[in-house]
Amino acid sequence: MSGGLLQIHDPLKPAGQAVGIDLGTTNSLVAAVVNGQPRCLPVDEAGGTLLPSVVHYAAEGGVLVGAQARSQASRFPTSTLASVKRFMGKGRADAETRKLGSYRFAEGAGDVVRFEVAGGAPVTPIEVSAEILRTLKRRAEAFFSAKVERAVITVPAYFDDAQRQATKDAGRLAGLEVLRLLNEPTAAALAYGLDKGSQGTFAVYDLGGGTFDVSILHLVDGVFQVKATGGNSALGGDDFDRAVAEQVLSAEKLTAPTPEQVTTLLAASRAAKEALTTQEVTTLEWEGRRTDISRAQLEAWIAPWVEKTGPVCRRALKDAGLKVTELDGVILVGGATRVPAVRRFAETLFGRAPLGDIDPDQVVALGAAVQADLLTNAQRQDEVLLLDVIPLSLGLETMGGVAEKLIVRNTTVPTAAAQVFTTFQDGQTAIDIHVVQGERELVADCRSLARFRLSGLPPLAAGMTRVEVRFEVNADGLLAVSAREQATGAVQSMTVKPTHGLTDEEVEQMLLDSIEHAEADMHARQLAEQRVEAQRMLADAAKQLRENGDLLEARERSGLEAAMADVKRLSEEADADTLREAIHALDERAKPFIELVMNRAMTRALVGHSVEQP
Amino acid sequence: MQCWNCNTETAPGTLTCPRCSKVQPLAPGSTYFEAFGLKPTVDVDLPGLERVYRERSLQVHPDRFSTAQARERRFALEQSTLLNDAYRTLKDRASRAFYLLKLNGLDLSKEDAGTQKDMPLSFLEEVMELREALDGHRERGRLEAALEMAGEVSVRRSTALADAEASLRQLLAHLDEENSRRDASHALARVRYFTRFLEEVNAMEEEALG
Repeated sequence: MSGGLLQIHDPLKPAGQAVGIDLGTTNSLVAAVVNGQPRCLPVDEAGGTLLPSVVHYAAEGGVLVGAQARSQASRFPTSTLASVKRFMGKGRADAETRKLGSYRFAEGAGDVVRFEVAGGAPVTPIEVSAEILRTLKRRAEAFFSAKVERAVITVPAYFDDAQRQATKDAGRLAGLEVLRLLNEPTAAALAYGLDKGSQGTFAVYDLGGGTFDVSILHLVDGVFQVKATGGNSALGGDDFDRAVAEQVLSAEKLTAPTPEQVTTLLAASRAAKEALTTQEVTTLEWEGRRTDISRAQLEAWIAPWVEKTGPVCRRALKDAGLKVTELDGVILVGGATRVPAVRRFAETLFGRAPLGDIDPDQVVALGAAVQADLLTNAQRQDEVLLLDVIPLSLGLETMGGVAEKLIVRNTTVPTAAAQVFTTFQDGQTAIDIHVVQGERELVADCRSLARFRLSGLPPLAAGMTRVEVRFEVNADGLLAVSAREQATGAVQSMTVKPTHGLTDEEVEQMLLDSIEHAEADMHARQLAEQRVEAQRMLADAAKQLRENGDLLEARERSGLEAAMADVKRLSEEADADTLREAIHALDERAKPFIELVMNRAMTRALVGHSVEQP
Repeated sequence: MQCWNCNTETAPGTLTCPRCSKVQPLAPGSTYFEAFGLKPTVDVDLPGLERVYRERSLQVHPDRFSTAQARERRFALEQSTLLNDAYRTLKDRASRAFYLLKLNGLDLSKEDAGTQKDMPLSFLEEVMELREALDGHRERGRLEAALEMAGEVSVRRSTALADAEASLRQLLAHLDEENSRRDASHALARVRYFTRFLEEVNAMEEEALG
């Protein structure tokens, strides 16, 4: 028997199970340790564990997430947002916003990406991600029949500070206490390492929908020490889809496709890519046109992206001070590693067959669940420890636009560093501080994280005022900056403004708004869900009537049609409950008809079968 | 020192209270050697250092305290930060030598340390020569030649580092402190220069890799 009934609620601690969440570019998952084993939790009625990372904003209000949202993509391409992870922590001028896609970008306060959607004000990637997290939270709560309020959320190892902060803000917005941001390759290693009690040095090659990571880890006595990490947070399976789509567009000489066309073409391209995992040839069908694509063609189109991962891996090995031959194993993670060309490339690069016995889609979520358990389960804390690193150097702008690094990449976190600045003008009472992240020499080539002004300094002669700026990076890889005037010792007033994110006040406000509107939001969501269900039922019923209408007597037929008309009428009104009843009524009406259709299909199959008998 | 939680007397540098096992705050001015329970030394046993690093990380890493009260979480973060920074500094021979010199009153990372000025003229000539040769290779894109130079420079760096360590051993043993400190600082200035040179060649190599 599980100990569930014997657990005593501690009023000081948030109740409930802590979960691990893989917030992916293409799909998201939620997992938890249940009876000592990590497992992915169901996110849909069919028991599937992959929630498509797609969010639909309905014109009448209401938000759909997952497969339901994706079903709206071709009709409402700009209000149905997919692959939003690519824009986390990004500014409006970022290169990501110029890739082929059906997004409509909006203006707004601060340099943060916003999407124009139906049914309300433009939304930021943080808010869209929070919708996905909220859905996962609800599904986990349904599974446990209990509140779920704490989570470990995974991020690409190569995410910079702004991208990490955005992810953490999304968690907060979804009503989750984010116990830890965990690097995806590290999570994968945790899922593998615990299973096998392995020791040694491993490379994790993680190619997801939109991000690429490689991490080199050393495992010994339960300590997972990341030696080096590298990656590209704008490279993934999405790029393969776009490569296919761009080939089709250029073959069709279509230079300005509509958002609808882009959405349907990207979906068809993805399907073709997936088909070519097992087949040598496939046919891409789009707008009535059929294009045959061979695996060799696909491989030629995606080669430039696959090859980009090579130097990244070599640099990570070099940073770890290792040769390929010194590795004890290679772990492949992420849906895009299903592509045969990617597997082959990784195999050649590392000179060995990769480990692959855990589903590459699930392994990150499973590792996150293990970490959530380790963080919250006192009995397990002596077993395992993760020592992770920051992926990109952190620094400050100095004279002449040069970036001075305070903490270099691949430094184990938590860590801290300080730098003393002096004034350069007589009587100067303020210093501007610009925090940047990246490996390049010039500030202009690095990511700008934050700017702040340290004011109220004593007006002394140039060079006399000394200010110590201190960086502290916590175990999440998140940076905090403080500044202290050394003569007085007082920590000076400062305002930090994230360059590509939301301020704490903005997140607080969104949180307050969401609580205030929680009930209205829930109604809107239920209505939107019922509308999708109504759409699906009506399409199904119409199809069956067309194909098998002859099975019905006139009276039965008119009854069914009346039920359909009810559903259609009510789906244009705004009452979710009446619509649900109408859908239920239609379902009941349709049952005997569906039975007749099934019988006919069965009879035909049996007849066909006997005919084929020799 | 007293435990903040249960007032038990604790020895300086204690990580966790022997009675209530709460993480203790960092003693002000703790050195990297103290973080490992070591006396300042040139000669560190690396496997031993790594073992202690793992053991102490398991004791104080913030992940062990995610459900603890805020105060203990803060102490864990401070202890773990010091441990990480100390391990990174002490495991590498060169950074350990620079750190030892700093503990003994000379911080070469400060620009006003004044070591460049009294460097022997022969070293400045060596620097000029190496610089011109490397610039020449870079302009002509001769990576092979640059790598060959790097091989030779890394031998010079090893020698300089060994010289610095010898002087630091003298300094730590309080033998002829004035001269030992100066010799160590001159040798480390050479190490620093050669390291930068190697980094430049490394950058050339990475650029060539694309």
